[in-house]
Amino acid sequence: MDALERRIADLRAEVRRAVKAREHSLARSLRGELRRMEHEWDRAVGAEELPAPEPEAPLLPVREQVHQALALLGVPAAPKLIVAVNDAFFSRALRGSQFTSLRRDEERSFRSDPYARPYYLCAALTDRLSPARGLLAVSTWAPELRVLGPLSPRVDFLTSAVRVAEHLARLPEPPSGAVRLLTRMAQNIPGAAEGFAPADPVTAIRAARAELEVHRAADAAQRAEVAARAGRRLPDVERLFGAATLGALKEAAC
Amino acid sequence: MRGRLDELRGPVPPRAHDARAIAALAANPGCARRAVLDAAGVDKDLTARHVGFPAPFGQSQFAITRGNVFEALVKENGCAELLRLLRELLGLPIAQVGYQDVESVGSHLRHSHTRALIDRAAREGDDAAAFYDHPLLSLRIAGQTSYLEPDVVAFQVGGRFHIVEIKSFAVIDGQAEPEKVAAAARQAAVYVLALRALLADLGHDPERVSHDVVLVCPENFANRPVATLVDVRRQLAVLRRQLDRMTRVDHLVEELPPGITFDLAPDAEGTPTRPAREVAGALRQVPARYAPDCLSACDMCMFCRDEARCGGSTDQLGRQVRDQLGGVSGVAEALALAEGAAEPAEGQEEIAQLLRLAHRLREESLG
Repeated sequence: MDALERRIADLRAEVRRAVKAREHSLARSLRGELRRMEHEWDRAVGAEELPAPEPEAPLLPVREQVHQALALLGVPAAPKLIVAVNDAFFSRALRGSQFTSLRRDEERSFRSDPYARPYYLCAALTDRLSPARGLLAVSTWAPELRVLGPLSPRVDFLTSAVRVAEHLARLPEPPSGAVRLLTRMAQNIPGAAEGFAPADPVTAIRAARAELEVHRAADAAQRAEVAARAGRRLPDVERLFGAATLGALKEAAC
Repeated sequence: MRGRLDELRGPVPPRAHDARAIAALAANPGCARRAVLDAAGVDKDLTARHVGFPAPFGQSQFAITRGNVFEALVKENGCAELLRLLRELLGLPIAQVGYQDVESVGSHLRHSHTRALIDRAAREGDDAAAFYDHPLLSLRIAGQTSYLEPDVVAFQVGGRFHIVEIKSFAVIDGQAEPEKVAAAARQAAVYVLALRALLADLGHDPERVSHDVVLVCPENFANRPVATLVDVRRQLAVLRRQLDRMTRVDHLVEELPPGITFDLAPDAEGTPTRPAREVAGALRQVPARYAPDCLSACDMCMFCRDEARCGGSTDQLGRQVRDQLGGVSGVAEALALAEGAAEPAEGQEEIAQLLRLAHRLREESLG
C-alpha cells in the first residue's frame, strides 16, 4: 500500500515535470502509468474492506415472505415479530414499512374475487369481533386460531417461542440472529433462560410448555366461544378481516 | 361563574388539560395566575408567545420517538416484558396474564369501553384480564371533563389496580434523576386519581387503586426495562387539594377588576389580533407566584420571570432563598443590607448579619 502511494506521488511529480518541459509523449505515457497505479490502489483499498454480506434479492413477493414467517410461528403475530423471524431464518429483506397496506390489499382482493387465492393474510379478531390492531393471521388457519381472548396474547407469545425454538433445534448450524431472537423471547418466560446467556432451545421449549399448560384450557374455551360467535354472526369477508361497522360490532357484542 | 370564565377566555373553546398540565398544577399551588388561566381554559402557550415570552420547553422529536420505541418494547407480544417485571416485583401469579387492548374499539368508544372493562374487573376479581392497554380515563376539572390517556396500563393483582408508567429516562445503578422521577410520580398520581374517580363513580371502593405506581424505565445503558414501585401518596394529596382549589376559583375571579379578559381576539386562522401590550396588562392584574421550578412546568414561566426580575422580588431566587429572606421586601433591599448601605429595620438584624457575612466572604474570595 505504502509503496503504491509513494510510486503514485513520484509519478505525479514526473508528470508535472514532463508537462513543464513540453515533452508530450513522455507525459502521456506517464499519465497512463499513473492511472494504472491509481486503479491498483483502488483495488487494494477495496480488498481490505470486508465484503458486506449482501442480502440475496428476495425472489418471493412480500406476502409470501410474511406467510412464510407466519407459517413458522403458527399464531397471529405483529409485524415486528414477523420481521424479526424473517431476519433470523429467511431472506432478511422484509421491512416494517412494507406492512402498511398489506392487510387492506388482501381484503380488497378477497372482496373482488373471494377465495381466488390459496390463502389470504387476514386479521385476528378481538372478542368484540373487530380486527385486532397490528396483528396478522393466515386465512387457512382454524377459526379458533384467528380470534383472541384476553389470555391469547400470552398464549400466542409462548407458542411462537416454542415454534422458534423447535425450528432452531432442527437447523444443523443455527444462525446467530435466530439464537438472539430466541434468547430475547426466552428472557420473558420464567425458567427459560439464565441471565443474558444464549438460550438453549430444549430448556426454552420445556419452560414455555410448562407455562402454556397453565393457560391452555381457559384460553381454548374463550377462543372457541369467540370463534363460534364470529361464525354465527359474520359473513365470510368479515370473518377474515373483522367487523368494521359500528352496527355489526354492537350486534356481535350482545 | 361559568359565564365569567368564558368571558376571561374569549370566544374560543376551552383548552382541555392533559395529565402533564394537571400534574404541573400541583407543582405550584400558590399561583393565582396559573389557577385562573387554567380554570378558564386559556391557551397559555399561545398567550405566552403572543406577549413575547415563548416558553423554552416542549419535547424534542427525538425524545418522543425514543419514548415511543421504549414503550413499544415494553408492551410488545402481549406485554411480555412487563409481565416478567411484575412477576419479579409484585409476585404476579403465573396464571394472571390476561391482556385487553382497549384501543381495538375505535377512539369514540374507548372511554365507555374502559369503564365497562374496569367495572367487570372490579366485580369479578382476579379472573378478569390483568392488563388494560391504552385505557382512556376522564377527570372533571373546574367544570370540564379532561380525558387522560395513561400511556400505560392499569392492571390488577390481588384485587387491587395499579397504574404503570413507562418512561424512557435511564435508571443507572439504581438511581434516576430525582426531578424526572418526581415529574413521573406527579403524572402517575393524576392517573391514580382519575381511576379512583372512575371506581367511585361505578360504586366500587376507590381505595382499590393502589397508591403505589409501577415505574418502568430502561436499566443502566441498555434498553432492558426495569420496574420500581413509587409511592405517590404525597403527590395525590397535593393534587387533590389543588383541584379542590380550582373548583373554588370563584373568589379569585371575583377579586379581579370587572371587564378584564385574556381574549386574544384570534382571526380566522387563529392568529391573535389583540395588541400584546393589552394582553400583558390583563395578565399582570392577576398576581403570580414565580419560582424557578416554574421553568419546567408552566407555559407562562418566561413572562412571570421577567416580571419577578423587574419587580426585584425575591421569589425569583427559589423558595428556599425566599423563605430565608423573610421580612426583606426585595432584591434591592437585600443588596443594600448586605453592603451595609441600609440600616436593618427591627426584626431584620439576624438576616442582615447573615447577608453581610455572605457579602464579606464574596469580596474576600473574589478580591
